[in-house]
Amino acid sequence: MAKFLLLAFRNIFRNRRRTLMTLFMVGGGVAGLLLSGGYFAFMTHGLREDTINSGLGHLQIFTADHFNRDEVRVLDTGIDNWRQVAASVKTGSHVRGIAPRIDFYGMVSNGIKAAGFMGAAVDPEAEKSLGFVSRIETGRDLDIKPGGEVEALIGKELAKSMNVGVGDGLTVLAMTSDGALNGVDVEIVGIINSGAPERDARYLRITLPAAQRLLQSDRVTNLVVGLDATQNTDQAYLEMLPRLNGISQHLTLKKWIDLATYYKQVNTMFNGIFLFMGVIVFFMVLMSSVNTLLMSMFERTREIGTMLAMGTPRAWIIALFMVEATLLGLVGAVVGVIAGNLLGALLNSSGLHLPPPPGYNVPMPFKVRFVPVEMIGSSLLVIFSLAIASIVPAVRASRLKIAEALSHV
Amino acid sequence: MEEIVNVEAVSRSFALDNRPSSHPAHSFVSALTHASLRVNAGEFLAIAGPSGSGKTTLLNLIGCIDQPTTGRILVDGVDTSQLKPAGMSKLRREKLGFVFQTFNLIPVFTAAENVEYPLLIQGINAVERRRRVAEALESVGLTARANQRPDLLSGGERQRVAVARAIVHRPSLVLADEPTANLDTHNATQLIDLMHGLNQRIGLTFIFSTHDARLLEHTERIVRLTDGEVISDTTQGGLRG
Repeated sequence: MAKFLLLAFRNIFRNRRRTLMTLFMVGGGVAGLLLSGGYFAFMTHGLREDTINSGLGHLQIFTADHFNRDEVRVLDTGIDNWRQVAASVKTGSHVRGIAPRIDFYGMVSNGIKAAGFMGAAVDPEAEKSLGFVSRIETGRDLDIKPGGEVEALIGKELAKSMNVGVGDGLTVLAMTSDGALNGVDVEIVGIINSGAPERDARYLRITLPAAQRLLQSDRVTNLVVGLDATQNTDQAYLEMLPRLNGISQHLTLKKWIDLATYYKQVNTMFNGIFLFMGVIVFFMVLMSSVNTLLMSMFERTREIGTMLAMGTPRAWIIALFMVEATLLGLVGAVVGVIAGNLLGALLNSSGLHLPPPPGYNVPMPFKVRFVPVEMIGSSLLVIFSLAIASIVPAVRASRLKIAEALSHV
Repeated sequence: MEEIVNVEAVSRSFALDNRPSSHPAHSFVSALTHASLRVNAGEFLAIAGPSGSGKTTLLNLIGCIDQPTTGRILVDGVDTSQLKPAGMSKLRREKLGFVFQTFNLIPVFTAAENVEYPLLIQGINAVERRRRVAEALESVGLTARANQRPDLLSGGERQRVAVARAIVHRPSLVLADEPTANLDTHNATQLIDLMHGLNQRIGLTFIFSTHDARLLEHTERIVRLTDGEVISDTTQGGLRG
């Protein structure tokens, strides 16, 4: 077997120029896949962590009703005893902290003009402890004032629309949980630029106590749970479920992935593009390799005839060609992985940026992540492609008529 | 004496074009016509004749790398017409050794590895392979060149490696097709002496095709072919059969 592999290995390097061309093509395919896959991985990883750290957290606790029916009144499906819930899950493994949230909506007015908003009420300290980033362009983050003054952060586009800036005041109007209209004056302490102008045109954030006063309710919409690392989500989820069963209100626990619709769409799109590229590389390697391997077979016709004349089983000839192609694929894959990693490292250190994607106004860093699964997958793809490509030449070689092959010039 | 080869009224014809044989315009050329031949173990037999006389065709048929159109051939008592391709392959692997006009060594293998190849395909273990390769290379005087690849060997050395490869698995019969055709006089003489010596020393049967008069001088028996027919079968002592 060792001698057989040796023969296959040496045969690869018989025609160095042709082998180099094949390696260049196979390696190029692998490197291309690694760079594109690495870029997609960088994008999705960045988007994942960005999504989680911009406030989604790793897990979220809601009432079961939140997903079963629409709210008739604000906080209709909110969590009643949220402090008790928070206390019961806070001691779970990997849990870094709990942040209560209220989602609400209403109108803001500057006295001259009014606009609709989608609001979020947060506990600034809890948010900070979880490392959630507010992307404040100007001003500062929220602070809970003991005197009852209310601070607010608003989206950049909303601030522009209302013609206000840091230090200015606005009136926030919303329906209370009893269905009455209530209002509170807020001072703008910061302007948020999330990167998505459409979101920033309707975004307003105030503190949790202020929102509870405005909405006349002690409830919260949900509790956001931050973990020590994203990869611990599944474990923390399984450990947390039994803890929630002990709460009188029927609660439901969601993982971040279940709530990150945009992330899932982007991930699916990237996976689709990557798969498509993989198919292209597969056929590119397949088609060009069939030709190369057939040329190799024709050049070795007399040699194959000699081997068959000496009694070499035809299956060995098939195996020889397939092993040669597989080894070629393996060497090409190694070349491709090395080239892909070197180019990736070069790209990462270049500081290149791509223009912002649609709906965003922040340039995207052009970087790649080195993903072992992609290296293995791309390598297996080209090896498999070459093995498939070798079938036709291998079978043709094994079926050569010996007498004719021996007289081949 | 034990009979190694029995060629019984063998003919071989080839189609001249790709039309099916039933097609009225289909034409054949006859390479061998009703050839009969018996070869005993230990013989050193030459098949002589001009180019196109059917020498290579006859050797190919005896060597089971081609099949007769009519007639049958027995090799070491086995009727080759009854064998399936795998059986023919096994027969070639175990009972036959081949020496080709153009040496036909595997270029990426060293001399020793080339000699080892027939043992490799027989599944013989590495220790035994090494021993037999050393023995075969010594018998052709190429021990010192064992680790050279064919492109670094002279024509004569290459053909000696081919002879070592043909005898290493101890076949019943060695078939050599024009073994001296690509060699100069000196190397041709060396090769003839080598083959003849092996025949004399270990009783190995050789059948070779040639039109080299130097080789014919050393041959006890000469079968002459012309236009695909055996026209004479002579031994040192005179006509045979």
